[in-house]
Amino acid sequence: MRVPIAVKVGLFSVLVMGGYTYFANSIPQIESKPPQELSLEGGNVTPAQLIKAGDEIYKTKGTCEICHRIGQKGTRAPDLGGVGARAAKAKPGMTAKAYLIESLINPNAHIVEGYPPIMPAVDKPPIALNRSEVWALTAFLESLGGNVDVTLNDIPATVGAGGAGGTAAAAELKMPGDPKLGKAVYMGKGTCLACHKAGDIPGTPVGPDLSQIAKIQTPDYIMRKILDPKGMGTVANYPAGVMPQDFGTRLTSKEYVDLMAFLLTLK
Amino acid sequence: MPTARRSARLLLLLAAAVVLLSLLPAEAQEAAKGEAAYRNFPLLGSRLAVWAVAQLHLNFAAFILGVPIFAVIIEAVGWRTGDARYDWLSHELVKLTFAAFSTTALLGALLLFLFVGYYPRFWAYMTSVFFPTYWIYALLFFLETFTVYLWYYGWDWLSGSRKWIHVGLGVLSNLFGTAILFVANSWVTFMISPAGVDEAGKLTGGVWAAITNFTWMPINIHRLIANIVFGGTICAAYAAFRFLAAKTDEERARYDWMGYIGNFIALAAFIVLPFAGYWLGREIYAFNQTMGITMMGGFMSWLWIIQAILIGILFLGSNYYLWLGMERIPGSERYRKYVPPMLIILVIGFMVWATPRSMVVTLDEARAMGGTHHPLLGFFGVMSAKNTVVNLMILTTFLSFILYRRANRVSTKPWVKTGMAVQWAAFAAAAVVVVFYGVYGYFVESIVRIGFSVYQVIAVLAAIALVMAVDIPMFKGARTTGQIRWGTIAPRSQYVLILLAVTFTWLMGLMGFARSGIRQHWHVYGILRDTSPEAVTPALGYASNVITVVTIVFFALVMFIFWLGGLADRGKAGAHGHAPAPVIAGGSDPRR
Repeated sequence: MRVPIAVKVGLFSVLVMGGYTYFANSIPQIESKPPQELSLEGGNVTPAQLIKAGDEIYKTKGTCEICHRIGQKGTRAPDLGGVGARAAKAKPGMTAKAYLIESLINPNAHIVEGYPPIMPAVDKPPIALNRSEVWALTAFLESLGGNVDVTLNDIPATVGAGGAGGTAAAAELKMPGDPKLGKAVYMGKGTCLACHKAGDIPGTPVGPDLSQIAKIQTPDYIMRKILDPKGMGTVANYPAGVMPQDFGTRLTSKEYVDLMAFLLTLK
Repeated sequence: MPTARRSARLLLLLAAAVVLLSLLPAEAQEAAKGEAAYRNFPLLGSRLAVWAVAQLHLNFAAFILGVPIFAVIIEAVGWRTGDARYDWLSHELVKLTFAAFSTTALLGALLLFLFVGYYPRFWAYMTSVFFPTYWIYALLFFLETFTVYLWYYGWDWLSGSRKWIHVGLGVLSNLFGTAILFVANSWVTFMISPAGVDEAGKLTGGVWAAITNFTWMPINIHRLIANIVFGGTICAAYAAFRFLAAKTDEERARYDWMGYIGNFIALAAFIVLPFAGYWLGREIYAFNQTMGITMMGGFMSWLWIIQAILIGILFLGSNYYLWLGMERIPGSERYRKYVPPMLIILVIGFMVWATPRSMVVTLDEARAMGGTHHPLLGFFGVMSAKNTVVNLMILTTFLSFILYRRANRVSTKPWVKTGMAVQWAAFAAAAVVVVFYGVYGYFVESIVRIGFSVYQVIAVLAAIALVMAVDIPMFKGARTTGQIRWGTIAPRSQYVLILLAVTFTWLMGLMGFARSGIRQHWHVYGILRDTSPEAVTPALGYASNVITVVTIVFFALVMFIFWLGGLADRGKAGAHGHAPAPVIAGGSDPRR
């Protein structure tokens, strides 16, 4: 039986593409996952936890490993081995943590000789680390040969203003709402305390502790998180999809503004 | 009673229908209030739906934009030389394009519906930046459509003394088509390298600033050239199919010639395509170092190994086709001795280019090697080696073409020896420059090394220009050693043409994934984040599965459309007055 040309050509083409597909499936399979938001339990973390979190950020969301190595000289960026000790002596009169923080959020301020000024600000998109994450990353870098003494208060309040959604927002925002009424919403209609602790208000630890949320996150982030919890992603180590999606319709505008005013008092 | 019951039932049904209908606007309003950022496409998921339709649309768009570019050149050649074969070929090519025109538009509309329906927030943002360009796009589309219609349907009407008007229409349709490409590219490049907006994504510098972002012009040029390559390979594959299915020698000769022309066009454009790629890569680095490094050394690093293999196959395939083609040219025997060394250069180049920097090894193997870099092969996995071999492969392919070009010709010019010496010197000088900077690249920092590729490219381009500048006058009026025996080429050569078309189409899909994937979890890099559950950028295996399925669908659609396009000609062969199908077998003009 004579095989039609169309069949021969079709089989040949499928065979060629099958070969390419097989090869592409046989090499290392690496996905690029969106980074998770990190919230550090209202700021109450031990140095060891902080360093561990910073190490994770260094390898993942911070994308530091693309250029930096620890204990190995890179062609694009300096070796970070012992940077905690070196940072203390890098600039006279400047502490290690101040040097490291400035290097992270304003990389062109301290260019190491022999390297190009190619580092992006880590608190701006596309990396867009939030304040918690810059804190943890600084602690991790300090731990590389130095003492870990950085606190959340050392990280400027403007850090992370770029927002995880990629849209800038003012760092200082005065809400017109009433914090007292907002607290009532938090404990009543909003049912927030069912999952969150907030200062002296106890709560089940289903979601992150909000005791210092105004210090850790930007107003823009908090506002978005209430209206679109799923869209803003789940905080690491917490279950996804628990926070209700309907606050935008369940709360009135006034209740929403009052709630925000209350949350911004949690520092 | 039964009548009353029936009436009551009818009334109830009517009432229910009225309530349902009245609820629809309310539901729509509720939906608008919620204004979802994403909706889920049934079964496939939104991302896969957009991916598949976008890839199909781009394949068709590349074809209908690329083919007319060389169709009008071929028509102009036919007009100026009076050779009816070219006019016939140009008409055949535009006929293929014409058949694919409406499918491209339909797929474009479908893509738009998918964006509006399933990514409404993303599309609203893009509209807030690019709204004025939508009108320009629509206007250009109308202009291009009408011009192409006039060009195709006016073939006979605008012949003879009015041919210049017809060729002018072809040029005009190409200008409109290119402008459409540039407008659409402004949207896609803005997503990669946004400009003219502040950190909040608000337009600050005017829409022109958003259009002229870092990657806009490199992608314009890259796509323009790639479209010509793609169009050439598809036309060559079409000719190959017709050759294999041909019943007569005349038909075989005609489609052998058409396949050769298609491949020649593809090859000529393909040689300069890597240079446009370098430029695009440099601009990505200039826009954002992190993005550039992620693209070349991050999770996408293995993609370039696959790309190297595909391009290696394209180089080997193109050369093999030329070498097989030389067998039907009397007088080509004297050049066969060059084939083995050229093959060796191409194979070694292919192997070096496809060498990964880091090996896939077990832990024990890694320990034995002292890392994932092989002590010897690791040297070939870096850009210095890869840039060097790709430039040498381009030079070799160009040499293949030069030999094919002169296969049945002997120059009668008195300065032929000098001319040949100049040509060989140009080849040698380019090779020396390429190898020198390739080796030197191992001893300098990466930032310096990147600049070396420019010198290598300039050396190769200069050699190509110089060799052609000598070759054209040297072989003008040359003595012929025999006519090309069109139609006698080995049938396996036609499978090579199909291989080239399939490989290039697959490669386009892969590069589309690379272009889109480097944004990672951003719709618009650094401005608008992808917060959908499908924000993960998939691994290469998954991507290649999608690319393969879409490419199969594309070829199935192309075959169907070409079959539809050919229906009109059935039963009225030779009815076209503009240019009858030429008889080519053994009657080729040896000057070509």
